[in-house]
Amino acid sequence: MSGCALNEKEFFSCCQLLLQQSEHLRDGWSWEAVQGSEEGYLRKTVLRSVLADCYDAQKQTETASDSVSPVSAHPIQELQQQERTQPVVATCFHSDGIIGDDGDEDDAVCVLSEGSSHVLQYEYHILYSCSYSAPVLYFRAFTLEGRSLTLEDVWSSVHPNFRHCLQNSPLTAITQQEHPLLGQPFFMLHPCRTEEFMRPVLQEAQEQPRPVNYVLLWLSVVGPVVGLDVPLKYCTQLHLSSLQHSASDLMSSTVETGVRRFARKTCK
Amino acid sequence: MADDKDVLRDVWFGRIPTCFTLNQDEVTEREAEAYYLLLPRVSYLTLVTDKVKKHFLKVMRTEDVEEMWFEYEGTPLKWHYPIGVLFDLHASNSVLPWSITVHFKNFPDRDLLHCPSSSVIEAHFMSSIKEADALKHKSQVVNDMQKKDHKQLWMGLQNDKFDQFWAMNRKLMEYPTEEGGFRYIPFRIYQAMSDRPFIQKLFRPVSPEGNAYTLGDLLKEMYPAAITNDGEQKRYQVVIHGIEPLLETPLQWLSEHLSHPDNFLHICVVPTPSD
Repeated sequence: MSGCALNEKEFFSCCQLLLQQSEHLRDGWSWEAVQGSEEGYLRKTVLRSVLADCYDAQKQTETASDSVSPVSAHPIQELQQQERTQPVVATCFHSDGIIGDDGDEDDAVCVLSEGSSHVLQYEYHILYSCSYSAPVLYFRAFTLEGRSLTLEDVWSSVHPNFRHCLQNSPLTAITQQEHPLLGQPFFMLHPCRTEEFMRPVLQEAQEQPRPVNYVLLWLSVVGPVVGLDVPLKYCTQLHLSSLQHSASDLMSSTVETGVRRFARKTCK
Repeated sequence: MADDKDVLRDVWFGRIPTCFTLNQDEVTEREAEAYYLLLPRVSYLTLVTDKVKKHFLKVMRTEDVEEMWFEYEGTPLKWHYPIGVLFDLHASNSVLPWSITVHFKNFPDRDLLHCPSSSVIEAHFMSSIKEADALKHKSQVVNDMQKKDHKQLWMGLQNDKFDQFWAMNRKLMEYPTEEGGFRYIPFRIYQAMSDRPFIQKLFRPVSPEGNAYTLGDLLKEMYPAAITNDGEQKRYQVVIHGIEPLLETPLQWLSEHLSHPDNFLHICVVPTPSD
């Protein structure tokens, strides 16, 4: 890895590693290749339920600044009665604690009750930007009826701690962009600051020294900003010996540092 | 003999005569007349069509008006592409004026980005400039500029002020003499019939031996199908700002003189018209 920039070959290798781990953990990532070349991107689809009461409860416990949320929870079209014949178990978005609490995914599962839930399909793509020598996160979201979510709708899925920062910093904000390979509108987290916030995170990890997957590390920092969870189990897989425990410590502390630095930098 | 600087002016002041017609399915209170306008090649549709909107709103009720969007022969036009690129890509070999259909309903949100205000256009424009500088100068020049300098670039484009724009943009066109050119050339190659919206990759303007790469060298590497081999019939035209530069033209020169205000060299590969 040259400094804190990532070249395309390295991106490809990191993605393949991540894929292997994802398959093992059944985390749902796939590789979409472009015309049988090495060029391509990682893709993952997530069904997420935004529970109206769950969201409101979190707002009450929010101890962060008095910044007003940019939009109130938009009433997204209710599911048709016919579409839900039985209660659906889906991932509920939690905003308390980023990753590294106890990594217990069971916390995130709730049973939907009729009339209070909106199930959304989120699609995440990880592409490589040759201009910034960094990975870039693209995503879009639809209701189950196929209605695209607007930027306002998407804001409500951004972790409250980041909402205030992102609003003030246009270049790390979420903007609508054309997907460079598909040509369709997606939301994107701007990559121009990536090298900046990855540098200290990488240095800390490299001081150990431990093998580091740039893409995985980067994803664990930016993913939570847009509600994409990266289970800690990804890094415990790197070490099969008794070093497992300290590896996850390293990852969680490194990631926390990275997240704090990311938040600080975006607030400038 | 034409100075290189004249090329910069010719590029900036390029215009496309356009006829805007309201989509037949829009609900109007009376017949809508077509609206004619000279569009700047280097600007963006949503930045220069306020008059078009005002014109058609005169015959419509506000409740029938949503976000305005444009279409050419069934293809939604991407406002975030420079106007000249849209024309060269979709309509370069058709009769002038360029006939664009105006819509106020059924925004195709799977195809087009939303454009709620001019600050979105500004953000997009500045984002392109920053990306171009990341390629040319590792972002050093654009990061050394102040906020007011960035604003000057945008205001220059918005208000069609060549001198104001270039007073700042010339800094983005400089490079260390010993390098012979930029680090990488910011370019995008478009082809109308492709699934892929454009080709953009890393490409240096100068070889390790110090030789200047040409437009032909770029195409050979990125899009060989665009080049006609000896004895073959010419299948494609390689169009920049409505003209076909010689393939022997040095890429560095093209980047300095034929880039759009967003600092990208936008290259359209279109099928040669069959007479």
